[in-house]
Amino acid sequence: MKHYLDLVPISAKVHRKQNRMSIFCIILAVFLITTIFGMADMFIRSQIIQAKIENGDFHITVQGITDEEAGLIKKRPDVKAAARYGVLNFNDDKGYTILDKKSIIVGADEEFVTQLQMGVINEGNFPQNDNEAMITKNARENLGLQIGDTVTIKRPGEPELSYQISGFCNNTSKIMSEDAYGVFVTTSAFREIDDIGDSTVLADHNMVLFVQFTKTYNIQNTINRLKEDCNLSEEQISENTKLLGLLGQSSNSFMMQVYISAFVLFVLVLTASIMMITSSLNSNVAQRTEFFGLMRCVGATPKQIMKFVRKEALNWCKFAIPIGIITGVLIIWILCALLRVLSPEFFSAMPIFGISIPSIAAGSAIGILTVLLASCSPAKKAAKVSPLAAVSGNAINLQPVRTAANTKFFKVDTALGIHHAKSSRKNFFLTITSFSLSVILFLSFSVAVTFMNHVLTPLRPWTADISVISPDNTCSIDRGLLENLQENPAVNHAYGRMFAYDVPLMVNDIDKMTDVISYEQKQFDWAEEYLLSGSVQAALDEENTGLIVYEPQSAVNVGDIVKIDIQGRTTEVKIVGMLSDCPFNNAADVETIICSENTFQNITGQSDYTIIDMQLNRNATDNEVNTIRQMVGTDVTFSDERMGNESTRGIYYCMWLFIYGFLAVIAFITVFNIINNISLSVTARVKQYGAFRAIGLSMKQLTKMIIAEALTYTISGAVTGTILGLIFHKLLFGMIISYRWGDPWAIPWTELGIIVLIMLFSIIFAVYRPVKRFQKMSIVENISAQ
Amino acid sequence: MELLKVNNLCKTYGESEVKVNALKNVSFSLEKGEFAAIVGESGSGKSTLLNCIGALDTPTSGIILMDGQNLFSMKEEERTIFRRRNIGFIFQSFQLVSELNVEQNIMFPLLLDYRKPDPKEVDEILNLLGLTERRYHLPSQLSGGQQQRVAIGRALITKPKLILADEPTGNLDSKNSQDVMDMLIKASRQYQQTILLITHNKDLTVSVDRVFQVSDGVLTDLGGNGNETLS
Repeated sequence: MKHYLDLVPISAKVHRKQNRMSIFCIILAVFLITTIFGMADMFIRSQIIQAKIENGDFHITVQGITDEEAGLIKKRPDVKAAARYGVLNFNDDKGYTILDKKSIIVGADEEFVTQLQMGVINEGNFPQNDNEAMITKNARENLGLQIGDTVTIKRPGEPELSYQISGFCNNTSKIMSEDAYGVFVTTSAFREIDDIGDSTVLADHNMVLFVQFTKTYNIQNTINRLKEDCNLSEEQISENTKLLGLLGQSSNSFMMQVYISAFVLFVLVLTASIMMITSSLNSNVAQRTEFFGLMRCVGATPKQIMKFVRKEALNWCKFAIPIGIITGVLIIWILCALLRVLSPEFFSAMPIFGISIPSIAAGSAIGILTVLLASCSPAKKAAKVSPLAAVSGNAINLQPVRTAANTKFFKVDTALGIHHAKSSRKNFFLTITSFSLSVILFLSFSVAVTFMNHVLTPLRPWTADISVISPDNTCSIDRGLLENLQENPAVNHAYGRMFAYDVPLMVNDIDKMTDVISYEQKQFDWAEEYLLSGSVQAALDEENTGLIVYEPQSAVNVGDIVKIDIQGRTTEVKIVGMLSDCPFNNAADVETIICSENTFQNITGQSDYTIIDMQLNRNATDNEVNTIRQMVGTDVTFSDERMGNESTRGIYYCMWLFIYGFLAVIAFITVFNIINNISLSVTARVKQYGAFRAIGLSMKQLTKMIIAEALTYTISGAVTGTILGLIFHKLLFGMIISYRWGDPWAIPWTELGIIVLIMLFSIIFAVYRPVKRFQKMSIVENISAQ
Repeated sequence: MELLKVNNLCKTYGESEVKVNALKNVSFSLEKGEFAAIVGESGSGKSTLLNCIGALDTPTSGIILMDGQNLFSMKEEERTIFRRRNIGFIFQSFQLVSELNVEQNIMFPLLLDYRKPDPKEVDEILNLLGLTERRYHLPSQLSGGQQQRVAIGRALITKPKLILADEPTGNLDSKNSQDVMDMLIKASRQYQQTILLITHNKDLTVSVDRVFQVSDGVLTDLGGNGNETLS
C-alpha cells in the first residue's frame, strides 16, 4: 500500500457482500436507462425506415410554384434533393386502363424515384425520354412484359398512350389492393398527357415539388428561411409529418404534445434511476458510516473520506456501468432480431447488432453522476460522526431512534418490522420514492398502449390476403371456384360471401332498405365475438333467420320478423341475433342483415358469390399467388392485400414489441428494485436480527418482521405511486389521447392492478432469500456477521 | 436438583490447517439456583461455551441437557421457544432493541411469546432495577449502567431457569459493575435462578457459588470461591 486510497480495493474485497448490492443497483439503473433509451432509439429508427418506405424520404412538399422557382429551390445548398411529382387517375376519375385494369400514371423527375423514395426500382431504369415508362412489376407478371416492350394506356374519349418499358418498379399496397397498374413517366411526358399546354406552374399540371433537406436538424428554421427567400405562404408548404415527427422536427401541434409526453417519460426514467441508486447507497449507510468513522478515528480528514468514497464509487462504476450497458444492449439486440423475424420486409434494414450511442452515453453519464452525487451523503454523515461512536462496534445504534415502536396495535415482531422501515426518515422517503416511481413509470407508459390501439388497427382474424371480387358487385363468381381454391395448397382458408345491396325491407310496417350478406360457418364463428344478443348458431342452423348489425337508428330488433322483397319475391326472415359490428360499410339508414347461404338463396334466388376471400399460408410464394390469379381469370377483380397486411402487421409488431417491452422492463426493474432494497435493509440489520434471535425471536417471527418491513415500504410506495401515477397518467392521457381522439380519461384499473400485484409478488422473492440465509446461519454467526 | 448438564462438549472451527479446537471435552453440571462464574483469558473459549449452552451456536459433539432436555434434538422453532421461556441472556454490549423503550425492552421476550405482560411484574422488575422513572426512555437516552440493568430486566421477565451472562460488566465502570452483580445475586436468590456468568474480573467471582476456568478450550472446576482458589 503506497497511498491511503489503495485501501479502496482492499476494503471492497472485505465488504464484498454489502458492495455487491450497491453495484447491483447501479447495474439496474444503468440497464434501465440504456434499455429504455436504446429501445426508444431503435423504435424511432425502425419507424423512420418504415416512414421512408411507406411515405417517402422527403421532408416537405411545396405547391403553387413555377418550374423556375422549383429549379431555384433545388439548387439551394440546404436542399439535398428536390423533384416534381404529379399523379393522374389516382381515384380512377379518368378511367385510364391497361388491358381493362385501372392504371395510375405518375409523372416525376428522376430524383423522386432515386432519392426521395426508397427502393422503388425493381429492374431497369427510370424513363430517360418522353417515350419511355416504368411500370409496376405486377404488370410484368400479369401481362408477361419485359424491358423494351411497349405498353399502351387506354383513355376514354382520348387517344391511347404508348410507351416503351424502361424498367419495372415495386408494387405498392394500393396498387395491389385495387388490382391496378402504376406507370412512371418523365415530367415532360406527364405534362403532354393533359391539355394544359406549356404552363410552367406546377399546380396546372397537378404537380408539387418534393424536397429533402441536407440537414435533418433545425428543419423548421430551414423551412422558415425557404419561405422568406422564395416568398412562400404557410399553405404552400406541407410537412411530411410522420418523418419530421420521428426526426423530432415537426411543428405539428399533436407531435408537440407527443414530444412533451416523451420528455415527461424521459424525466421519470431519469428520476427512477437516480432514486434507485441513491436509495441503495443510503440503505447501507450505517455500515459505511461505521467504517468511515473508524477511518476518521485513525486520522483521516473529512476531505480524505470524501475522496475515498468517490474513488470507491467510481470503482463500482467501472464494473457496474459496462455490465448495465452490455445487458441493455443485449436486450435491444434481441428486440431488433425479433422485429426482423416478425416483419422481415420492413425491418431488414435494421441492424441486429445496432448500437444506440445516445442510450449508452445516457446510461454511462447518469450512472457516474448519480453514483458520485449519492455517495457524498454517507461520507458527509461519516464526517459528522464522533470517532468514539463510530468505533463502538454497533453501527445500528448510529441510526438515531426518535420514537419507540408501537406495540399496542401490532404484535411485537410486526411492530418492529414497521418501525424498521420508518426508523430513518430519509431512507424511508428514498425507498418509497423509488418504489412509487415504478408505479408512476408503469402507469405513464401504459398510456402508450392506448395510443397504440388508437393509431393502429391490428389485423382481424378474418382479414383476407387475397380477395376475388365481382367487378359489378353481383353474385357472379362461380361457387365451384371456391372449392377449387380451398384445394389449393397455398390457401389456408377460403370463404365466400354473397351480397345483395339496397334491398327493400319491411319491419313492423316500416319500409326500409337493407344489405343482405351471406356467411358460412367460419365467418359465423368470427361473428360470435360481436354478438350483443340472440344466437349466431340459430342463424347458421335455421333457415330464413338472420342477424342484424347494430345501428343507432335501426328499426329492427331481435325477435322481429322482417319481410325482404326482391324482384317481387317476398321472404320472411326472423331476426335471431344482433351483432355490434361487422367488417362491411353500409350507406346511411340502410340496415345490414347477415344470414346463412341457404337463407340468402331463399331470399335472392342467387347461389354464386360476390366475393371470395383467401387467407394464404405464411410461406405462400408470389408464383403460387400468380397461379391462383390465373385460375380465377381476368373477369374478376383480383385484390392482393398482402402488402397492406404486411405493413399493418409490421407497424403493429414494432409498436407492440417496444411498448410492451418498455412495460416489461419497468416491471422487471420494479421486482429487482424491491428485492434489492429489502435485501439491503435486511443486511444492514443482520446483527440486530442476531440479537433478537438470541433473545428468543423465532425464524417465523423474523420472517414476519421482514415481511412487515417490506410491506410497509411497498404499500407506502404503492399508495404514493398510485396517487402520483394517476396524476401523470391523466396528464399524459390528456396530452396525447384526449387531445387527438377526445377519449375521456378513466382510472386504468387493470394497469394499476398489474403493477401493484407485481410489487406485492416481489415481496415473496425479496423476503425469501434473506430468510433462507438466516436459517443457514447460527445465531452467533448472525450476531457477529459483517 | 441438577438444572444443567454438559457432557464431553467439543467445538471445532475450521478444517485441516486452520482447525481450531475451541472447546475440548468440556463436562460439568449446575444445580438449580446455583450462581457460577467462568473465568479465562481472552480467546480461551468462554464465550463459545456460553453460546453452545444457550444454543446460540451448535457444538461439534457432546451433550447439553437443560432441565433434562437436549436442546439440539429439538427443531429450530421448538428450540427458540424453549430458549425464550427458559434461558435469559445478558450481553456485554447490552443488545437492547433501540426502537423499544425501557419497559418494552424488558417485556420483549414476553411479547415475542405473544403473552400479555403482567403490569405488576413489570413494575416489580423496574422497581428492582431502579428504572421506574426511566420506563419510557429509549436505550439511546440511558447510561451504560442503566442499559445493562434493562438487559437484566429483560433476562428476568420470563423467570427463566437459567441466565447466561457474557461479560455483563465489561462495558461498565466499577460502581455500575458492582450494582449489576448485586442485582444478579439478588435475582438468583429471590427467583431461585441458575446463573452462569462469564467475566474477566476476578473480583466479581467473590460472591459466586462456583468458579470454572477455561484455558485453551479445557474447563477446570475451581470449586467454591474463585478468588480463594485462584489466590
